[in-house]
Amino acid sequence: MQQSFILQLVTRLTPGKTMDILEQQYEEEIKLLQQETVACEIERDECLRAIFRQHGGETLQNILKTISIRKENEDGVTNGDASKLVTEISDLEVDHRRQTDISGIFLSECWIKTVEKSSTKTVQQYRLSGRCWLLSFQVEFVLTEIQDGETTLKKVTDLNIISDGGEFKDLCGFLSSVEESRSLFLFFRTLRSYSERCKQRTCTFQHFKEKYPDLVQLPEGCRSEIMVIQSPQLPGCMMSIFWNICVSKEGTVMTKLDLLMKMPEQAEKLDTENVMASAPESFRHLLSVFGEEATIESLIQSVCF
Amino acid sequence: MEHVRQKGVFDHLLMLERTEAAGPKGHQKARLEELQTTAAKIRAKRDRIRAETSTIKNLKEKMDQGLPLDDATEDLVQFEKYLLTSQRTQLKDLQTAHRLIAGFNLVESKKGKSVCVAFHTAFEGVCLETYNMEVNLTRMVHISRHNIPSYIPLEKLAKQSLQTDFKGFLQTLNLHLNALAGRKQQISLIKELLGTVEVIEKNQLCNFLAFVCKVPSESEEAVLCTLEYGDLTRCLPTQVVIDAENKTLIESPQWKENHVLLKETPVHSALLTMRKLGSIL
Repeated sequence: MQQSFILQLVTRLTPGKTMDILEQQYEEEIKLLQQETVACEIERDECLRAIFRQHGGETLQNILKTISIRKENEDGVTNGDASKLVTEISDLEVDHRRQTDISGIFLSECWIKTVEKSSTKTVQQYRLSGRCWLLSFQVEFVLTEIQDGETTLKKVTDLNIISDGGEFKDLCGFLSSVEESRSLFLFFRTLRSYSERCKQRTCTFQHFKEKYPDLVQLPEGCRSEIMVIQSPQLPGCMMSIFWNICVSKEGTVMTKLDLLMKMPEQAEKLDTENVMASAPESFRHLLSVFGEEATIESLIQSVCF
Repeated sequence: MEHVRQKGVFDHLLMLERTEAAGPKGHQKARLEELQTTAAKIRAKRDRIRAETSTIKNLKEKMDQGLPLDDATEDLVQFEKYLLTSQRTQLKDLQTAHRLIAGFNLVESKKGKSVCVAFHTAFEGVCLETYNMEVNLTRMVHISRHNIPSYIPLEKLAKQSLQTDFKGFLQTLNLHLNALAGRKQQISLIKELLGTVEVIEKNQLCNFLAFVCKVPSESEEAVLCTLEYGDLTRCLPTQVVIDAENKTLIESPQWKENHVLLKETPVHSALLTMRKLGSIL
């Protein structure tokens, strides 16, 4: 009120020049207030995120339950805000499930921090952990969004990928190239197709292990690249299948299967038709015609009596 | 308006006349008043958010220390709102992150009868075009509308897997769109970063590119490079042809290496490396 009175007084008594100064002062004040508001918003949101990080899940649900019981006891207290939020949350949960299903990527941790925010620029720090099939990953990056008129420029910088599990050892070259070129999106695309191939390999290995428990061995577990076929009636004869999944630097996933045969020396002498030597070649030929599963099946059948 | 009606139209006209008579001074006064209101509004908003923040902090402290929330019911109603908001914030963050990493996102529309898919393309950390598609899910699954460029073999892809493997279809299409965006972006990066390299031919699908670069010598010999991208799901060429009048130059080990470079790295980075090594201007 007082300010408004002064304004009236000043505008009545002074010429345009003072008014210009006043206008400038107001504009500056508005700008400052806007900045403060954004800073307050960031602080509030960070605080809300921290609550969920520390007390999310069960604790939070328990507290909400207690509150709603107390509200019921002291009937008459209704909260429109809360019911609106509950609907919004359940919608978001449905969307989240759909996204997880369609992308095949399950996020277990999602940490976002707003570093900078103005009307034209937003900088946010991300840390995401999760898994794609059984392959777990953690990625950290900075996302900068710059609003330039109608268009928004979105850019990823400072990409860092921490991966876990034996499968990732074949991805080293790809991972460093992705980090260097900040290709976050390429990483997830490739991770998806890579994990699909890994899954296929593991499922096939497991299938044969269950079907022929006496003949099939998985010396390094069902998630590694080796499967050994050995018949108890043919000691010394061994067929090892190496199922490699490689990823090129640009993210193309390729599968390569090789066969390694081992036979006792005496048997090798009897091998007049060079079966041993030509086996890998024949194996590749079979693969191209019948695919992985049928080819491995026929190999196992060959030592079955 | 209330005000006008109370005082009558003539009074209002009189007032307008007076304002007009006051001239620029009157305008400025109005402007100042407007600024003052705006400032007051923002100040109120700031104070409201500040108060919210302090309540949330108070709530967080209590929760951190494991204290019982035995406040008055009105406070509890506030707490409930913030706890739910915290949950919503987390879910919204997850949604944002998912959209970012999945490359595409789905939104159901028309009560589940159709689904809208948005494909977000990117190359080397820079987000590029977004394409949209609406898929009708009733009876025969089919694409009802889209803004995917006509030179993307959409029909062929749809025939292959739209009916049988929707997820696979989306992933393949996403691969095509990203590869296109990547090839396109590489060309604009050549123009942006390498002014000395002259792009002489390209097509809409960006699967063919011809450019001329100059060799640092007195005569500034020109070398013509032709790149063909046979695999439309990739942004690296499947064939590279290098040609120049000076055959000994392009047969040199240095240019043999350049050939490999152009085949195995994105064209703009290959050219930048070539320039760094002194192969081109």
